[in-house]
Amino acid sequence: MGAFWAIFDKEIRAIGKEKTIVLAIVIQLIIASLSSVILIGLMSFYDPSTIGQNTNIHLKIGITGDEYSSLVADLQQAHILTIYYQDPDDAQTDFTRGLLDAVIYIPPTAGGVSEMKLFLPQSDSRNTVILMVLKEPLKKYENQLRMADGVNVKFTDLNGKSSTTYEFLFSFIVPMLMLFPAFIAGSIVIDTLSEEFENKTIETLLSAPVTLADMIGGKLAASVFLAVVQCILWTVLLYFNHIVIQNAVLVLAMAALIAAFVAAGSALIALYFKDRERSQFVFSILIITVASLSYLAEPSPIGLITRLATGAPGVGILNVAFYVLPLAVLLIFIFLNTKRLAALKA
Amino acid sequence: MKNIPIIATREVKRFTTRFRGGSRAIILVILAASLLVSYFVASSGLTMSKGMYTVGVSPTGPAIEDSRFNLIGVDKAEGYAMLTRHSLDAYVDTDTVYGRNDDRSRYAVGALKQYLEKQELNRITEEYDLDQAYPLRIETHYLAANETTAAQGESISSVIGPTPAATPVPVATAAPGGTVTVTRAPVASPAPARSDAAVEAQLAQARNGTQPKFKAEFVSDNEIIIPSLMNPPVPLPQVIIAFLYIVPIFFISVFFTSSFMDEKTNRKLNILLSAPVSAFEIIAGKMLPYLTFALVVIVGVTLVLNGNLLLALAIFIPIVLFIFAVYLMVALFYRTYKDQTFFSMAAITFITGYLVFPALFTGVNNLSYISPLTLAVQMYRGESFGLVEYVFSTAPMYLVFLLGMYVGVRIFNEEYLMGYGPLYKKAGDAIYLAINRKHLFLSIALLSLFLIPAVFMAQLIILALATNIQQYFLMLIALLFCCALVEEIAKSAGIVMLLENRDIGSYKQVVLLSLLSAVGFLIGEKALLYLSLGILSNEVLIQAVTDSGLLIIPLAAHFVFTSIVCVSTKKLGTKWYFLAILVGTLLHTLYNVYNLRLAGVL
Repeated sequence: MGAFWAIFDKEIRAIGKEKTIVLAIVIQLIIASLSSVILIGLMSFYDPSTIGQNTNIHLKIGITGDEYSSLVADLQQAHILTIYYQDPDDAQTDFTRGLLDAVIYIPPTAGGVSEMKLFLPQSDSRNTVILMVLKEPLKKYENQLRMADGVNVKFTDLNGKSSTTYEFLFSFIVPMLMLFPAFIAGSIVIDTLSEEFENKTIETLLSAPVTLADMIGGKLAASVFLAVVQCILWTVLLYFNHIVIQNAVLVLAMAALIAAFVAAGSALIALYFKDRERSQFVFSILIITVASLSYLAEPSPIGLITRLATGAPGVGILNVAFYVLPLAVLLIFIFLNTKRLAALKA
Repeated sequence: MKNIPIIATREVKRFTTRFRGGSRAIILVILAASLLVSYFVASSGLTMSKGMYTVGVSPTGPAIEDSRFNLIGVDKAEGYAMLTRHSLDAYVDTDTVYGRNDDRSRYAVGALKQYLEKQELNRITEEYDLDQAYPLRIETHYLAANETTAAQGESISSVIGPTPAATPVPVATAAPGGTVTVTRAPVASPAPARSDAAVEAQLAQARNGTQPKFKAEFVSDNEIIIPSLMNPPVPLPQVIIAFLYIVPIFFISVFFTSSFMDEKTNRKLNILLSAPVSAFEIIAGKMLPYLTFALVVIVGVTLVLNGNLLLALAIFIPIVLFIFAVYLMVALFYRTYKDQTFFSMAAITFITGYLVFPALFTGVNNLSYISPLTLAVQMYRGESFGLVEYVFSTAPMYLVFLLGMYVGVRIFNEEYLMGYGPLYKKAGDAIYLAINRKHLFLSIALLSLFLIPAVFMAQLIILALATNIQQYFLMLIALLFCCALVEEIAKSAGIVMLLENRDIGSYKQVVLLSLLSAVGFLIGEKALLYLSLGILSNEVLIQAVTDSGLLIIPLAAHFVFTSIVCVSTKKLGTKWYFLAILVGTLLHTLYNVYNLRLAGVL
C-alpha cells in the first residue's frame, strides 16, 4: 500500500509542478463562458421574449390608422408607450426628430386578413431590438384576430418562465463541467502511462518494490482525485454565480464514478498500445462512442446528472449506485490482467 | 524544395509503421464501431434535455411528443396530488396546464408553453385556410432617421396611400374581465392575395428550417412579417454539417503534432536537423501528407453531402491551413507529454469557439462573417455570399497560416525544440528568433502589425470570459484592463527581448523602436477597421468601436504607453518587465476609461 501512495503523491506533484492543469481549468472556464455568451446571443435573437422580461427597453411607438384596435392595448400591456397620430405626416415628423422608435399603421379591420405596415429606422441593430420587443404583443394580437375569425386557439394563457436558459444550463453547461474533468483524467492517465513505456522508465520503476497494479492504481487514484477536486471547484463557482446544484453530493459521486470509469478505460488503452499517438487517438474515438452509447441508457449518465442537479422527481441514490457496476467490472478486468496486458506487443 | 517530397514519403512511412500488425485491425474495428454507433444514435434523435421534466397528462390531454418531457398518464385528482407532492413538475389537462409556484415547476410550464404553442400553430395551419390561420401580415418599411436624409427616404403617407375616408368603427373593446372581444363588420373585402405568397413562402421555409427571407421578391421589395413565423431558425443543422468537416481535420492534425513528438522522443529529429535540409522543407514535408489527407476528407464529405465541390474547397482550405498552423505551434512549443495534451485541448477549444460561435449567428448579424464556417452554412442553405465576405472571413486564416509557418521555420532548431524552459520564456524566445536582427526596425514594426490577428482573437476570448463577472462596472474595468494588457504585451515583447539579448543599448533606440511598434500596431488596427467597414453597417461598427475602445486609440497614445513600458524595462532591467507592463497597462486602461467617459459609455 505504501507504494500506491508514493505513486499517487508523485503524480499529483508532477501535475502541480507543470502547472498545465491551470491551462486545463482555464479551458473549461472558456468553454463555459463561450457557451453562455452563445446562449445569451441566441436567446436575444431567437427567443426575444426572455429579453423583454430581463431588460428595460422602453419603446415609443407611433400609431396611425385604427386607434381603437386591440393591438394598442396589447402594446401597452407590454409596457410600450403608444402615441396616436391622426395625420401620418405628424408621425413622420416626430420620427425624424427621434421622438419615436417606430410607427405602425393599423388598417381599419374589415375582418379576415389585416395588413399592417410597420415603419422602422434604417439602422440594422436598432431594428432587431425593436422587432424583439414588438414580437410578443404582435403574436397576442394575431391570436385575437384568429379567435375573432372563429379559429380555436388553445393554450394561449400559459405563463411559465422561459426555460431556454435553464435547460441549456443544466443539460449542457453543468454536465460539461462535471464531465470535462473526467476527460482530462483519461488524458492524464494515457500521458503518464505511455510516457513510462516510451521512455522505458517503466522497467526502472518496476525494479523498485512497486507492483504494476500499485503503479496503475496510484495513477488512476491521482487522476480521479484531480477530477473530483475540479468538480467541487465548479460546484462552488456556480454557487457564487447563483446557480445552485441540487443533490450536490450525488452529482459529485456520479462525476467521480464517470471519471474513474474513463480513467480506468484509458489505462486499459495505454497498457495495450503503449505509445501516446495511438492511445490518444483510440481514446478520443472511444470516448465519443461510449458517450453516444450511454445516451441510450435510461436515465443516461448525462441525463442523470441533469436530473439530479435540477432536483427532478424520480431519481436518487439508486440510479447512481447502478453505475458502480460497470466501473467494478472494468477495474476487476484490468487488475486481473495487468501483467498480461503490459506484456502484449501491439 | 526538392527535399519536401522525400520528407513527405518518410513521414508517410513513419505513420504507416505505427498502424501495422494486430493493432491496425483493432483500430479499424473501433473506428467502424464508432461511426456505426454515432450514426445510429444520431438518427434515433439526439435531444440534450431528454427527460428533464416530469409531466402528468390527463387521459383527455394533448399528445406530447417531445423527449424533454417524461410523461405520466394520470387523472386530474391524482395529478393534483402528485403535483403538490412534488412528484410532478406540471400537469396538463384537456386545454389547461397546472403548475406550482416554485422555479422548477414554472420552467416546466414555460417549456410546455413553448412546445404547445408550436403544436397549436401546426394544427391551425392544417385545419384552417391560410387567411384564417395567419390573419396578420406586417409590411415593413424603412425610414431615414435624420432630417437631412429624410427627403430621400420613403414617407409614411405615400406608403399608406390615400387614407380611406375613415369612419373608424370601434372594432375592439376591452371587457372588464380582461378578455378582449373583437367584433367586426361583415366581410366586405375579398381576401387579399397580395401577402399570401409571402406567408406560404415563410411557412415552407419554417418547415425546412431554412432562413426565412422576409424579402419576398415576387410581392414587393418590402419584408412581410408574420408574427407567429417570426423566429429565424437557428442554423444548427448547417453548423453540424460544417462540423462534419472539422472533426476529422482535428484528428488528422493531432497526428501531425504527434509526428514531431514521436521524433523528439526517439531522437530522430536531431538526425533530421543535421541533414542538409532546411527547416521549411522539414515542416512542409511533414505537413504535406496530412494536408493531402485533409483535402481528401473535404472532397469526400462534400461529395457525400452533395455540396458544391469548388466552393467547399475554397471555404475549407483556409480553415485547414489555420488549424494546421495552430497545431504546428502546439508541436513546437510543448515540453512534456502532458503539455501536449493540454495545448491540444486549448487549441481545440479555441478553434472550435472561434469557428462555430459566430456561425450560429449566420444571417442574423454580419459580424458572423468572422468565421468562414458562416460561408459554409450559407452554402448549405443555398444562399450566396460576395467576394468581400469571403476575403473578410478567410484572410485572417491565411495570415495566421503564413505567420505560423514563418515563426515555425525561424524557431526550428535543436536548442529551442528540446528546451524545457518555462512557457513565458519559450514564447519570448520564439519572438526573439522571429525578429530579423539585420533589419531590427522593420522587424519590430512588422511584428506589431502581424500580431494584430492574435491580439484580436485573444481579446475575443477575454470578452467571453469577462461575461462571467456579474457586476457591469467591474466587468467593464476588468475587460478594459485585460485588453490593454494584451495590447501592451504585443507591442513591447519584441523590444524587451532585444533588450534582454543586448541587441540594443541606447534609450534613443528604445524610443524609436517603440514608435515603430506603435505605427505597426496602428496600421494593423486600421486595416482591420477598413476590412470590417466593407462588411458591417456603419452604426454597428461605431458601436463596436466605442464598446471596445480598441480601434480609436490614436498613434500618440500607443507610442506613449509602449515607450513607458520599454524605457522603464530598460532602466530597471528585464526581470522587472512585468512591473513595467503593469504600469503601462494601468495608464492605458485609465486612458480608455477617460475616452469612454467622453463618449458617454461610462
